[in-house]
Amino acid sequence: MNCDELQGHYELYVLGLAEEEESREIRQHLDRGCEVCMRELGSARELAAMVGGTAVMAAPPPALRRRILASVGVEARRLGWWAPVWGVAGITALSVAVFVALFFRGREVDLAQQLVDSREQVRNQTIELTRLTEAFAIMNGPDTTEASFGKGPQQPPKGRVFVNPAQGVLLIASNLPPAPNGKTYEMWLLPKRGMPMPAGLFQSQTDGTALYVRRGTVNVNGTNAVAVTLENAAGAPQPTVQPLIVAALPSNS
Amino acid sequence: MTLLPLIMAVEVEGEAELVKRLQRRDPQALAALYDRYGRLVYSLILRVVRDTGVAEDLVQETFLRVWNRVQGFDAERGAVGPWLLAVARNRAIDYLRSTVGKARNSLEMEATEHPALFSDMEKDILATDKARQIKAALEKLSAHQRQVIELAYFEGLSQTEMAERMGQPLGTVKTWVRAALKNLRNELGTAVAI
Ligand SMILES: [Zn+2]
Repeated sequence: MNCDELQGHYELYVLGLAEEEESREIRQHLDRGCEVCMRELGSARELAAMVGGTAVMAAPPPALRRRILASVGVEARRLGWWAPVWGVAGITALSVAVFVALFFRGREVDLAQQLVDSREQVRNQTIELTRLTEAFAIMNGPDTTEASFGKGPQQPPKGRVFVNPAQGVLLIASNLPPAPNGKTYEMWLLPKRGMPMPAGLFQSQTDGTALYVRRGTVNVNGTNAVAVTLENAAGAPQPTVQPLIVAALPSNS
Repeated sequence: MTLLPLIMAVEVEGEAELVKRLQRRDPQALAALYDRYGRLVYSLILRVVRDTGVAEDLVQETFLRVWNRVQGFDAERGAVGPWLLAVARNRAIDYLRSTVGKARNSLEMEATEHPALFSDMEKDILATDKARQIKAALEKLSAHQRQVIELAYFEGLSQTEMAERMGQPLGTVKTWVRAALKNLRNELGTAVAI
C-alpha cells in the first residue's frame, strides 16, 4: 500500500483499532523511515493525547510522589548501601540481579539465584522492577524487622519476611508451589491480641518462588508473626485452614 | 459517560532541558516531571482502571518506564506529555485487559509508545486552549460517535468488542468510528496541524 491508501488508518492504528494488514503496512512504512507516515502518525498521536487529556481530573495522593521518587533514589541517604549503584545505573535488570545477589551475600544463594532466574520469566519487566524497588526499600529500612521461616528437616516453604512500620511487609519464599486453580495464597498479620488481620493475596511462580510486597503501615510492636494460608481465590476475611508459613517476629518487649 | 474536560495548564517551556536532566539521571528532574504531569497521568489511568490503588501502581510504572527509556527520547524535538500519556494508557489498558484474560499484542503496544515516535509533535498539545478545543470537538460528535472514541481510547476495545458491548452490527460501529475520527480531524485541523 502507498501512503495515500493508508489515509484514515493512522488514527485507527494509534488507537489500536487498525486491521492487521494496515497495521503491518504502517509499521513497514515506519521501518523504512517514510516521512509522510511519520507526520500523519504524529498528528494521530496528538489527537490521541488530546482525548487522553479529557479524563476527569483527579488528584493523586501525596504519598505517591514520594514513592515514585524514592524508587529512583531521591531519598538515597535513607535507603542505604545500594542507593549509590541505584542512582548511577538507574533501575536496570542487571542492577536488580546484583542487588539480589548482594543482599543474600551467600546466605541463601540458591534462593537468590531462583529469584534472579524467575525474573526472566516475568513478561512485564516494569511491574517486576516496581515490585523489587519496593521490596528493597523495605529490606533496607533502618527500622525493618526480619524473621525467617521454614527451617526444618522436610521441605516446607522457606524464606524470609521483612516488616517495616512505615512501608509494609515483604515476603520472599521458595519451595512454595503455585496455588492450584481456584485457590490463592493469603498473607496474615498475627497480632499479639485479637484476630489475624488479612494482608493481601498473592501467587507464587512456576518455579516455586514468591516475592510479595504488602504496602502500608504496620504496627510491628503489636504483631507476633506473619503467616500464609492457602485460601479460595477470592480470599477470606479470616484464615480457614492451618498456615503453610508462620514467620515469628523477634519479640520486641 | 460525559467527558468533563481536564483543564491543563501544562507548562512546556524548558521541557528540552528537563528531558536532558532526565537523561543525565537527575532524580530531581523526575520530581519536576511528576509535578508537571503526575495529575494528568493519574487522572487518565484512574479513568481507565477505576481503582485508586491500581492507578497508583500504574502511575509509578509509567514514570519508571519513562525514566528507564528516556535515553531514546529526542530532547529537542520530542513532546514528553503525549509520550507519557501513551505509556500511561498502555499500562492501564494492559491491566484492564489482563483482568479479563485478554492480553494485548505486546508488539502493538511497543509500536505505540516507543520514545522516538514522539518527535516533531506540537509540544503544547496538552495546554489549556487545546483542552477547550478537544472538548468542543467531542461535544459536536453524536452520542454514538463519542462513545466509540471513549471505548477505544479509555477501554482499549477493538471494533468487534465495541459491537458486542453496544449490541450493534460491526459495520455500524466501524461507520461511527470513521465518522468520529473524521469529525475530530476536521474540528481540530488547525490545532493538530504541524
Ligand atoms: Zn508512508
